[in-house]
Amino acid sequence: MNILECSSIQLIKNEQTILNNISFTVKKGDSVGIMGPSGSGKSSLFRLLNLLMSPSTGEILYRDKNLQEYTPTQLRRSIGYILQKPYLFGTTVQENLMYPYQLSGKKPDFTEINSYLEQVKLAKNILEKKNTALSGGEQQRIALIRSLLIRPEIILLDEVTAALDEENTLLIEELIAHEQRQHNVTLLFITHNAQQAKRLAQRLLYLEAGSIGYLGPASDFFKDKGDHHE
Amino acid sequence: MSNLSLALTFSLVLIALGLSYKEKLGLEKDMLIGSLRAVVQLTFIGFILKFVFNLDNIIFTSLILIIMVYNASTVAAKRGAGIEQALLISFASILSGLVITLGGLLAFGAITYQPSQVIPISGMVVGNSMVATSLLFKTLLNHFQTKREEVEVKLCLGATSKEASRSLIRDSIKTAMLPTFDSMKTLGIVQLPGIKGG
Repeated sequence: MNILECSSIQLIKNEQTILNNISFTVKKGDSVGIMGPSGSGKSSLFRLLNLLMSPSTGEILYRDKNLQEYTPTQLRRSIGYILQKPYLFGTTVQENLMYPYQLSGKKPDFTEINSYLEQVKLAKNILEKKNTALSGGEQQRIALIRSLLIRPEIILLDEVTAALDEENTLLIEELIAHEQRQHNVTLLFITHNAQQAKRLAQRLLYLEAGSIGYLGPASDFFKDKGDHHE
Repeated sequence: MSNLSLALTFSLVLIALGLSYKEKLGLEKDMLIGSLRAVVQLTFIGFILKFVFNLDNIIFTSLILIIMVYNASTVAAKRGAGIEQALLISFASILSGLVITLGGLLAFGAITYQPSQVIPISGMVVGNSMVATSLLFKTLLNHFQTKREEVEVKLCLGATSKEASRSLIRDSIKTAMLPTFDSMKTLGIVQLPGIKGG
């Protein structure tokens, strides 16, 4: 089943073509790596998928329904978008991890929270810590948990490990892989790290100046091109 | 007060202008325009108020109130440059504040709809509302620039635009109300003797 379908997407901003004739489908549970040079339109594609922008032409279907037919709120709770720079709001970690429950009107589930914290090797008492007391890696792990608590069906990761060391990168990758196994979450992630793409991606979409340069199995891409597309 | 005393009093504005210029505050234009407007308004308002008070006509009194609200709205709306329909928003806010306050005072029998009673009270209400609205616009614009990431992250988490900006709006309202609360705290010791003296 195709959970996501992009047909002939074109995005023009300030008379400049950002994305041109982008068509691809994503099946439920897929893991799609998105690579390409800076300015090739990777983040713009994610902004389209999260309804933060609308395509100039073409259509995007989520569960066979045009994205525009969903309310932004409804859609963003199904398609989670996590940015490169983790932003924790308020004062404490707890405020951030309570936010998803506030939005859904549910009672906070501390068993669920603690299980996530344990997976990414964070102590339970981190909840009381101030955001400013956290390292970059800790902040990114908390930001990721905050998004996962919404229970999105699709996760869009925009270079979330770009500024992190190897240890933190692997912890985040493990959490994402676990989420996929556990909840059959569909993953689309932007990366400049070929090793990461090899570890996580089943399929790869390579963008070049707003157009598709490659779309297919990740293994074939790296077999043909090697690792020089980092 | 002699004309010389009046002219010398204006030197206080010159001192403020000099300080603004020296400290590069960039307030000279606002200060000059503000002072000139105050002088012109005070000169004319004396004649107009005397005329309206003597006339004691409901329509004329109401017209004066509408002019006051509109004037205050244009000043407040300038602080909200960039906000859609800033003038309409400030006009509606200041007018509703005035209607509720004045309506309450009239309904409770605290005042009667006479120009000598309604106009001074409206002046205070409209003045306070204008300061609060100006400050609210300025703080909102500032918050939406400096806390843009917070709003974006909350939107990405599926919050509605109202939910995503709730804390910013709350903070802005608190800041906008500060001058009013400070005035209330010093009403008996600072504000009232000042008003009465004036």
